[in-house]
Amino acid sequence: MRCRTAEKRLSDALDGALGPRKRARLEAHLRTCPACRATRDALARLGEAAGPSAERSDEDWAGFERRLEARLDREPAGRRAYGAPFPARRRLAWAVAGFVLLAAVAALWFAARRPQPDLTAWLADPDALGPVLLEAEADPEVGRAVESEIRASLEALSPSPDADAAALAAADPLFWEGLSDEELEALVVALEQESGVGGPK
Amino acid sequence: MDEGPEDGLVEAAQRGGREAFAELVRRHERRIYGLVYRMSGDRSDADDLAQEVFLTAWRAIGSFRRGSSFYTWLYRIAVNVSLTFLKKKGREKNRAAFDERLAVPATGPGAASGPEENSSRNEIKARVDEAVASLPTPFRASFALVVGEGMSHRDAARVLGCSENTVSWRMHKARKLLRARLRPLLEEVRS
Repeated sequence: MRCRTAEKRLSDALDGALGPRKRARLEAHLRTCPACRATRDALARLGEAAGPSAERSDEDWAGFERRLEARLDREPAGRRAYGAPFPARRRLAWAVAGFVLLAAVAALWFAARRPQPDLTAWLADPDALGPVLLEAEADPEVGRAVESEIRASLEALSPSPDADAAALAAADPLFWEGLSDEELEALVVALEQESGVGGPK
Repeated sequence: MDEGPEDGLVEAAQRGGREAFAELVRRHERRIYGLVYRMSGDRSDADDLAQEVFLTAWRAIGSFRRGSSFYTWLYRIAVNVSLTFLKKKGREKNRAAFDERLAVPATGPGAASGPEENSSRNEIKARVDEAVASLPTPFRASFALVVGEGMSHRDAARVLGCSENTVSWRMHKARKLLRARLRPLLEEVRS
């Protein structure tokens, strides 16, 4: 047994909380370890010095009981529950938590019940756009949603700006004017090779 | 502890019987005082705390469940009353420490120790009590119940609402701390 274990078991032994087998092993260790024997003696002296200390005279106790009696006269025997520290604070915490939970449930319920307009119905049926636009005029939130739907649909229909970048550049007259004769000739050769047709000479 | 006849006294006290409750007070006052004294480390505070323990018990006696241990219930009240007091005292002590930094320190023989410190035996006792009072409160409560009141680890665990292993560990730590603090004194006692 190590001395550290012995010290822990000494504490249990002094409190009468050590089983017979552990006690036997502890005693065997103490027979061979002077340091642990010294610890045991010190702890025993500590226990003696820290023993019962309520040394008061009978008069002191009589005075204590009289004062208590006087205070009890003003107190009826109650049924106040004991055991839960700070019960009022705990009740308040539960009440607040319950209120917050109820409010959250109510908000979710109202949100679920609110009718949501079908913003994509007009795509399938052009006649359905009228009522949606009317609703969008009446409610700014619906208006913003309709606008974003329309923008998204238009973007889906229009070509990608990157795809026609070359065409847009070619349509610009300044593009051709900016090219040197050598660059123009190189382009012509490249076009002839690509299409197999002779370009302008 | 004599549990048999105590059931009748508790039952009578629950019906409002002051005589029965007074008998319960007489049976437990010394032990409760000893416990709160170890927890507070001050005799005057201990007197007030013991009064508070019995007042609390009287106010709550109707909620005590028959069949359970009255003294465990009473000791639990004593520990809780002591812990509440120590929390409050800690706050006030911190405030006082802050004020003292601004004040001129008092000197002279006025702040002498109590008369019990005149004898060697009482001096040793006072120093041990002071060391016990300086323990962290969970260790102090365990030490007060087990060493002070002679409770088993099991009973102390019931009062403190923890496991027996926790009480065992706290006792080991409490003894280690006390031994470290009182080493010169314990050497002196041996010689």
